[in-house]
Amino acid sequence: MNAAAPLDRLTAAHAELAPRLAGGPSWTRRRRQALERLLARGLPERRDENWRYLDHARLGAFSPGPAAAGDLPAWPALPLPGTRRVTLVDGRYEPALSDAPETGVQVEDLAALLSRDPEAALALLRAPGDDADDRYALVADAFAADGVLIRVAAGAAPAAPVCLTHLASAAAPGTHHARLSIALGPGAKLTLVERFSAAGPAAALGNLAAELSLGRGATLVHVRLHEHGAAAAQVETWVARQEAGSRYEQYLFATGGVILRSNLRLALAGEAAECRLLGLFAVDGERQADLHTVVTHDAAATRTEQECRGIARDRGRGAFNGRIVVRPAARGADASQSSRNLLLSPLAEINARPQLEIHTDDVRCRHGATVGSLDEAQLFYLRSRGLDAAAAGALLTWAFCADLIGRLPLPELRAAMQARFAAALPDRALLAGSA
Amino acid sequence: MSAASGMILDVRDLCVQAGGRRILDGLSLEVRAGEVHAIMGPNGSGKSTLTGVLAGRPGLEVVSGRATYLGRDLLAMAPEERAREGLFLAFQYPVEIPGVNNVYLLKAALNALRRHRGLPELDAFEFLNLVRGRLAAMQMDEGLLNRGVNEGFSGGEKKRNEILQMSLLEPTLALLDETDSGLDIDALKVVAAGVNAQRGPGRAIVLVTHYQRLLEHVVPDRVHVLAGGRIVRSGGRELALELERRGYDWLRAETAA
Repeated sequence: MNAAAPLDRLTAAHAELAPRLAGGPSWTRRRRQALERLLARGLPERRDENWRYLDHARLGAFSPGPAAAGDLPAWPALPLPGTRRVTLVDGRYEPALSDAPETGVQVEDLAALLSRDPEAALALLRAPGDDADDRYALVADAFAADGVLIRVAAGAAPAAPVCLTHLASAAAPGTHHARLSIALGPGAKLTLVERFSAAGPAAALGNLAAELSLGRGATLVHVRLHEHGAAAAQVETWVARQEAGSRYEQYLFATGGVILRSNLRLALAGEAAECRLLGLFAVDGERQADLHTVVTHDAAATRTEQECRGIARDRGRGAFNGRIVVRPAARGADASQSSRNLLLSPLAEINARPQLEIHTDDVRCRHGATVGSLDEAQLFYLRSRGLDAAAAGALLTWAFCADLIGRLPLPELRAAMQARFAAALPDRALLAGSA
Repeated sequence: MSAASGMILDVRDLCVQAGGRRILDGLSLEVRAGEVHAIMGPNGSGKSTLTGVLAGRPGLEVVSGRATYLGRDLLAMAPEERAREGLFLAFQYPVEIPGVNNVYLLKAALNALRRHRGLPELDAFEFLNLVRGRLAAMQMDEGLLNRGVNEGFSGGEKKRNEILQMSLLEPTLALLDETDSGLDIDALKVVAAGVNAQRGPGRAIVLVTHYQRLLEHVVPDRVHVLAGGRIVRSGGRELALELERRGYDWLRAETAA
């Protein structure tokens, strides 16, 4: 496959699709501009610093046109009582699978907004910037027609979590693009459980461009479950900004799909804004998970707590590439970053690149990365108590995950995740009680 | 040699190296049912290597010699097989395993043993009753059951936890690797009581220790001095007292001569 092929196919798909997308002339122009910027810069490649571990050939093999919709099979509900659902099917808001939001929460269907008020949509959805990591967001912008905007009013604190589900029904191979915009007003509080579940049989790529903003003193707990089916892939580009005193907690669990590439660029723009980014990926077979984050501390007393754990078996491949930038204005900033990784087979691969870039003296920063196999001393201890090598290995792998899962603030979900990760172990109930 | 003769452990001319260095150098030891042996020796004499090689610790290379346990070739058995056949090692430095709670490990260990012996697994109720009884005997807080294995335990709690596991698994051969080190006198008494409760006609205990302090509470049938990778002297209780009085240097001088 020559390097130009994916771009040619994108252009062809765009030419075919664009005339049918809603939004009128202003959106036609915006989409064309996005495509032109993309064509000028090209798609990310292996030689790009932040993209070197991704299997670009496999990603480029997904057909860029929309995936034909199929039937939606049943998917298991999350154990979250009272959740308000927001559901996207193949990137499209699906009212039949969505609930009316609580007071103070507004959920807007982007496709409807594009038809009703394209100019408002232009103002609400930021055009992707020129960051080299934003190129898949440009693709999403070029094809943008669907998605959802979630707004939480100032001071609102809805009692129930919002569960945002991305379903892919794909009956035939293709790509679905979606835009997502989440904004919390000052002092608002929300728990958002976001879940990707590709149910269809065909190879579909989801391309999500998302933006997030937290007003002063707002708090967002954001659980992200990447549970795509075996044939599905996902690329996502998140751009986030936090105002003073806001808190963002992200819990990302990547356990499905053939490829996941996740980009997050987060600016701690206001004083004492803080974020906690916890991630856990588990790749087996030929699967790949590639998590990339850039957090910038732009203001005083900002805090980052980041921990990513990865497990790779078989020929699974994982990458964690996390950069924390502490700018001169960020006096008294505190940043910790850790990446711990477990290789469970000789052919598995994990690349960990924690990076701290500090431009002021008045900071507290720690970072570290490990990639290794199971601890010999722990294995021997368990075997000396009569557990066979396989059981001891499974138990230690569980322990590696449990520690992180145990920090999920939603008890029901925590128990479900623990049970899932402990699935292969006996006496699960006893185990799950541990964290 | 068979179990019928009362022989539990028979080590002959065992030579072991680790990292290219010879650590055990022709060690022989016989332990019979009902006996408590104490193995004493200075730091670096090979005490932990001995318990490690008997329990199957990786990284130790048996160069020559053999070890027979209940008539079987011990060194050919996987660590878990040794455990299921009733060999127990109380670690000098019990390993912390965050994320696996203590009660889970206790149950998994006990059930592995029971399955191996063709016994039904204990149900949750029977198991907890059993554990609670043993916990009380070890004067351990029930809260420790739901903590990660040895996670954040004090030195004394870790050692008690080892003895708790031992009391639950009721081994045929218990190897205690410096279980007394780092214990205050009250903890030492509790641990000693736990060990004494394990004494019985069908079982044997090997205590590895640097000091004879533990031996005031667990009185051994035989005392051996390990130096330079082999047993250089064996005797009764009085040998431990002599070591306490005279230290190890006189033995070194004597064996070097």
